[in-house]
Amino acid sequence: MNVSSVQKLCIHLISSAFQRCRLSEGLCRLSVVLKSLPASTTPMVRVSISDTGIGCCLEEFQDLKYTREGIGTEKWGISDNEIYNYHLNLRESVSARRLTRLPSNPKNGAKFSGTEVCLFISDTIEALLAEINHFFQKMLILKIPTVAAELVIEKGDTPGLRCENVFLTNECSSLHFSTSNIERLKSGLEEYVLKHGNTLSDKCDACFSSREQLKIGSGVACSMESHRSSGLTMEAVIAISELSEFPCFRSCGSKTEVLHFKDFSPCPVSQTSLNALTSIDWRSYGLALGSIVDQGKYKTQPDRHLIKKAVKLAFDDLKEKHAGLLLSAHAVKICSYAPDLASTIAGLILTSDDPEFQSECVSILGLKQYEEIGVEMIEDCIKKKIISVIETNDKKPEKCKEAAAFLFEDDCPQEPIYFDEEYEEGEDFLNSPD
Amino acid sequence: MEGNTHSRDLLRKIKEITLWILDNLSQGRSPLIGIQRFRTYCTDLGSNCNCSSIKPNGHEILTFQKESHVHRIDVLLRVLLIVQQLLQENKHGSKRDIYYMHPSVFSDQSVVDRAINDICILLQCSRHNLNVVSVGNGLVMGWLRFFEGGRKFDCINSPNTAYTIPVLVEEVKDIVSVAQYILVVEKESVFQRLANDQFCSKNRCIVITGRGYPDVPTRRFLRLIVEQLCLPVYCLVDCDPYGFDILATYRFGSMQMAYDAKFLRVPQIQWLGAFPSDSDYYGLPKQCLLPLTTEDKRKTEAMLLRCYLHQEKPDWRLELELLLQRGVKFEIEALSVHSLSFLSDVYIPSKIKEGTYICHI
Repeated sequence: MNVSSVQKLCIHLISSAFQRCRLSEGLCRLSVVLKSLPASTTPMVRVSISDTGIGCCLEEFQDLKYTREGIGTEKWGISDNEIYNYHLNLRESVSARRLTRLPSNPKNGAKFSGTEVCLFISDTIEALLAEINHFFQKMLILKIPTVAAELVIEKGDTPGLRCENVFLTNECSSLHFSTSNIERLKSGLEEYVLKHGNTLSDKCDACFSSREQLKIGSGVACSMESHRSSGLTMEAVIAISELSEFPCFRSCGSKTEVLHFKDFSPCPVSQTSLNALTSIDWRSYGLALGSIVDQGKYKTQPDRHLIKKAVKLAFDDLKEKHAGLLLSAHAVKICSYAPDLASTIAGLILTSDDPEFQSECVSILGLKQYEEIGVEMIEDCIKKKIISVIETNDKKPEKCKEAAAFLFEDDCPQEPIYFDEEYEEGEDFLNSPD
Repeated sequence: MEGNTHSRDLLRKIKEITLWILDNLSQGRSPLIGIQRFRTYCTDLGSNCNCSSIKPNGHEILTFQKESHVHRIDVLLRVLLIVQQLLQENKHGSKRDIYYMHPSVFSDQSVVDRAINDICILLQCSRHNLNVVSVGNGLVMGWLRFFEGGRKFDCINSPNTAYTIPVLVEEVKDIVSVAQYILVVEKESVFQRLANDQFCSKNRCIVITGRGYPDVPTRRFLRLIVEQLCLPVYCLVDCDPYGFDILATYRFGSMQMAYDAKFLRVPQIQWLGAFPSDSDYYGLPKQCLLPLTTEDKRKTEAMLLRCYLHQEKPDWRLELELLLQRGVKFEIEALSVHSLSFLSDVYIPSKIKEGTYICHI
């Protein structure tokens, strides 16, 4: 990875720290400390990224434009006897001279692991802070249970100028260590939305008076292990909030935000993913794709089919759980006939001169006999039933083909059924005055 | 009385349909409405089709899952509601009346016609049983007298005067005739020609015209008098594809009314003329022969594929092939080239007398 900016370098280092913490089986701490150094004429910030994870090795620093020649590939761990110190000079043009080994410190028998990376950057704290904050807010979505992260900003030497942000996975959540990734993702995304991108410490009451306004669906797609690739898992979570107005200035309005994580680290949506998302049949969910705001290029090529499948599964999950949600454009059109159909069927009942037939109809509809039953009540009842049938049929059409009763079954012929509605080109069909 | 029983029966069936729909909806199912498909012919010449028996040939299933179906179901139920009211009140309405009750939904007369057909198939009845009537288009004259709904049609009194064929054919009774045959002509112009020539004064017959493609009352009326009077029936049409199609409609029924063809067709009808060969036999000058257009040829080729021309009337097919080969057509009126009354005085009587018509075996 070519680090294109200092912010991206910091993010990369923090991301690596997270990976190390994940690898460790116990609880880990991750600290990012930004300290502005007032002494110099140009603004200088000391960035310290430290974690108590395991598995650090120099390989991860190899991407920072220096070669590995002469450097060993051992991974350090908790059982090492020493704390290794290195100095990396990124400005050194000769790659072999970039990394300088410094004297180690002994651990003196104590068992711990961790990594600390210190950088000195010519920039202001504010320039770095936004990006780092943003990163942490996204990481919270993943709800990695074993990591306690903190962001500390020191603007001077006096204790009063120090502030801390502690990012813990939500204390009150019902998740515990054995909860699956997808459940964490759902919970994390829910909070992300309720807290407007995790910028608030608690859900926004102006926008979400009840949690029920948020609808969450999820889907998991896996590809099999093969000689070409190890098995991949794609997990997709979709959150839909149906707000008729946007009372809060923080809400994202009618935009859809897409967040992409690869190996538990946020990364921009790649072109392949974008193509996969664009190729979904949105009309079958009653949606239409608007314009796409691209947020940067990313080169990795995730499995396009896997993305599409996971996202579709998440949409189907939403449809399954919430009747009438994400009705396909087709179903919406059919529903538009419901009032007329209901009115006509009600007419067939009410204009009949057979009172027994009428009460039988009312009884089938489940309306109470002794009450005053008006036209509107019957129409409304029928309309609701029709819409319900259409919504049910829209969910998983392949699964809903039951054998239904035919009208006048004894007349049903045994010949094959023709679904082609077009008559043959019948000349007399048009000419006949019938 | 028979009408009332039939009405009650149909009303019962309509109620059953309503109950069945409600039942399905209440159980969370989309109602599936199966409508049998009928046809009077097919073009699958290899198989042994049973088109002549006018049995249903498959189903189409209307469901709430397709938008086109839902619209059709909407129309069908609206028309059904109107029919229920007509039957309960013992009133009649025309297809056009029905169209005007919801013109924005129905959008076109053909939409109503299709719904009426679907209902006839569902309820297994004929259109007139639904109290739906059409405006009568047919004319009759000649040696015939009958009553219809209390009115007397005394054609014998003035055999060359045209009378409108009644629309409520089921009300026709007390048919009396001294005719020797029935003549069906395609066009009103030919009908008028015969009237002007006092054809029925010189020939004891009944003349009918449907004024083009015959409508249902005309066909029903023709069938009624054929059955009651047991007279031979001759058909005179132009020598062109449309004339032939009209002949076929009388003989076999139309595709649109295929479900009712058994009651509408007249299997006894014979083709009197005009044949392609008549142009030579009667010395028609070349100016009277018009070339077949592309559309004419296309239509003729399509008609030649109809199964009944192979199975039942191969002799008719041969004449049709001759028409196509010669590439020319002519109207009945062309026979007036010799004299105005040639048709009435020579052509028709001689053909009937000599028996130079194509008959069924």
